[in-house]
Amino acid sequence: MSGNSSWMNSLVNRMATSKFFNYLAGHVLVPYWAWRTPVYAQHGGPRATIPPGDNMQRMMNLILPLKDKTAVGRAKAALAIASNLDEIYAGLDNVGTVHFARFVIIENNMCMISSYDGDFSNYIRDFVAQLGTVFDSVVALIEGGDDMIPTKENIDAFINWVHDRDVYQIPDTATDLLRYGTIGHSAAKADGPDDLRLMPRALILQLHKNPNSLLGSGYRGYPGLSVAQIRHKMGLGW
Amino acid sequence: MDEQDMPQRLVDAVIADFPDHAPGTRPAHTIGLGVTGYFRGSPIARDYCIAEHFQGHNVPVTVRFSNSSGSPVQHDGWSDARGMATRFHLQDDQATDLIAMTLREFFSPTPEDFLEFSKEARPRPVKPDPWWRKILDMLQLKPPNPDPYPGQNESGAPGSLDYANHHRSAQLAALDAAMLGAPVSYARATYNAVHTFIITAPDKTKRYVRFFWQPVAGVEVTDPTAPPVDDYLQGELRERLRDWPAEFLLLMAVGEGGDPLLDPTQAWPLHRSRVVMGMLKLIEIPADQETFCEKMSYNPGRMTRGLEMSDDPVLAARAQAYEVSRKMRGGSPCPFSKG
Repeated sequence: MSGNSSWMNSLVNRMATSKFFNYLAGHVLVPYWAWRTPVYAQHGGPRATIPPGDNMQRMMNLILPLKDKTAVGRAKAALAIASNLDEIYAGLDNVGTVHFARFVIIENNMCMISSYDGDFSNYIRDFVAQLGTVFDSVVALIEGGDDMIPTKENIDAFINWVHDRDVYQIPDTATDLLRYGTIGHSAAKADGPDDLRLMPRALILQLHKNPNSLLGSGYRGYPGLSVAQIRHKMGLGW
Repeated sequence: MDEQDMPQRLVDAVIADFPDHAPGTRPAHTIGLGVTGYFRGSPIARDYCIAEHFQGHNVPVTVRFSNSSGSPVQHDGWSDARGMATRFHLQDDQATDLIAMTLREFFSPTPEDFLEFSKEARPRPVKPDPWWRKILDMLQLKPPNPDPYPGQNESGAPGSLDYANHHRSAQLAALDAAMLGAPVSYARATYNAVHTFIITAPDKTKRYVRFFWQPVAGVEVTDPTAPPVDDYLQGELRERLRDWPAEFLLLMAVGEGGDPLLDPTQAWPLHRSRVVMGMLKLIEIPADQETFCEKMSYNPGRMTRGLEMSDDPVLAARAQAYEVSRKMRGGSPCPFSKG
């Protein structure tokens, strides 16, 4: 058997991007390798870290599946926000560590997307202190949210509940994918050589576990600056 | 190992990576093009650094763009790192250099590791993987090795990959190198100075920083599925400069506690404070390329008041190795400067 037949090579090169192979990969190979070389689903949100610059403008991307997956359910979610705008704006101003925040409905999910300074637990704790009643009205519309209400009385459980729904952040340092989340069979062995060519599979298997993901830590127009610094420098009265 | 010999050993190691290297030329980044223009420090650059070129007036520069290979054969269209060496011509015949490349990291944290890496990265014969191996790779969700370029019989890439699989410090650079592609223009790539430098502010505050050039025209690479073109980058730059200067912003990331200050194999987090230190305008390609390009020798250790090398061991070794290389090929530190 000739291994270098050029027409066969061309055929195989084309096959890599063919519909057939994409189907095979998505429906057979990914489930097989997910079973054969399982990975942990990595936690959502940014990793805990010490340098100040890493703790500024951290990204939160909550995806909260609505119980009612009809237009009525989506409208209820929209109204829960619209009817509490004063509370939300006053609360965000008072928390004082939020660069921006927005609520987005995407395919029967209520998404809460924000950029904040500092520690995640304290961020949610401050939020609940300021916006507990708004959270309660939103969480009541979300799958699995009933046990969290009232959020002010379930604060630690609620922080964990939110953390579990914050999307996984794929590391900026790509090789971290080889290090974290693998179980047993991995591209990065503790006592042997790695296989960098298995990086794509490590990514695929993590995305199999974590379908929603933030790609890297995100762009910042003014990295390293806190809300407080910007407000102070711009003379906004804070 | 005799440390005195290290600079020479580093140069010899690089030369050994390119079997067709032509004596008397640069050991790496052999093919290049010299360009002149000026750099102007931004209004806030002087608040961070007292170095002359950051004081806000125009400073003449000579820049050399290059392909990273030490081979005299030009392959502009191959995916590979590119270099951008900048000489800032300061007053009183002084000068400082900033040497940058399109990779964001270096392959080795120490000179000794670099010797080992160079040995592993020596070109090996390459040919397309057999079709059945490609299928086996695909079944493992592993991208098949890319076919060699037309006419390419050997490559350092397999050795680099093997080295990186056994040395985690080289992995980021190896991955970066595998995904670089070929720029559509020397003026449309980001160039990273990679090492950490120490700058001094007017109030004597010292900061650990890393510099990178960002193209005002934006970053763009060639179509990786199209056949590579061997000779276009120099012509493209000549054509571009006929119409308009090529511009680059000099950006500076400011390091923080916990950042790898002395290890060039580790990029800093993308969200470190980023300061615009100035704008480079490249205007003219001198006709006398022998003087302004080939004979000119840049050095990453050529500093000036207010700008110091960190204790990064690779930076120190490179500074010495560049001087060895200059002597070997009869290069001049600068056509005008004594610095």
